[in-house]
Amino acid sequence: MNGRTQTWLGALRETRNFTLLTLDGYAWLLPQTEVQALEAAPDIDPEVRVPQSVGAITFAGEWWPVYCLSGELRLLPQIPAGRRVCPLLDNGADRFGLVCDQVETLVKPSRLYPVPACMVPPDSPIQALTLLDRGLGCVTATEYIARLIAAAGERADA
Amino acid sequence: MPENPPKDSGTWILALDSVLRAAVGERELVHLIEAPTLLDVPISPPYCRQVLVWNENLLPAMDLAAWLRPGEPVQRRWPLAGVFGYQTKPGAEPAYGALLLAGIPERARTADSQACALLKQPARWRTLAISCFKRGDHPIPILDLPHLFTGGLLTAV
Repeated sequence: MNGRTQTWLGALRETRNFTLLTLDGYAWLLPQTEVQALEAAPDIDPEVRVPQSVGAITFAGEWWPVYCLSGELRLLPQIPAGRRVCPLLDNGADRFGLVCDQVETLVKPSRLYPVPACMVPPDSPIQALTLLDRGLGCVTATEYIARLIAAAGERADA
Repeated sequence: MPENPPKDSGTWILALDSVLRAAVGERELVHLIEAPTLLDVPISPPYCRQVLVWNENLLPAMDLAAWLRPGEPVQRRWPLAGVFGYQTKPGAEPAYGALLLAGIPERARTADSQACALLKQPARWRTLAISCFKRGDHPIPILDLPHLFTGGLLTAV
């Protein structure tokens, strides 16, 4: 484990509470402080769109774009059946909704593990792994998901 | 008895699938896990999609046959996983990774005189092996474990 890895893993370990988002059976954990609200998927207005989004939701008097990602964090153009809940993510710089199969709002992983270097490139959205009762969880943050969405938009524009 | 006996060393010969074989040094294989429980990691490469829990650590579980033959169907259930120790530099703390195996490793002794050219096919052997030796008529590549487990394959090819 290099110095940079130890630094961010240490910072993640300071984050005691996570929200668990289920996407196609994969468990993704985000710092709980980045989840602003939970909305129901039927409240998504599919007519209000920005590029790559599947619609938008109004919250606190503003429209929040909503995106749909596969379990492998690939952008989906339509919402699959079974996606019922839409957490609104806000890290101060990025604000959007992410339509999910399920959301558990308070998860306290017992331990965070570094991601093996041979599995992901350094710019991967997976920042750590954790063992949950139901299997493996991948720790990420709103920033990394926002980067993925932006990169997909740039590719679509190219 | 000759004054300078030919140097030989112990190796483990690994079954990467029903056909492909590779070797590691005898001290590199530290544990065998039968019917390993493998956990899927999303956004990971097809040859390294899973981790396993060993000694309170999560180890990458690598399917080298999938790396050597890209595009072919990937095996989902494995009878064995070998846990291997490696060092990224002399004196460094040992690190560990796992290779998925189709059968029980076989012990062999090899001598310098058995060194041979690396197999040409599959072409990706050159990204995995540090050298090769001949066992009977069969060349057996020796794996470069630090290269494999520190991300060398992510940038290879």
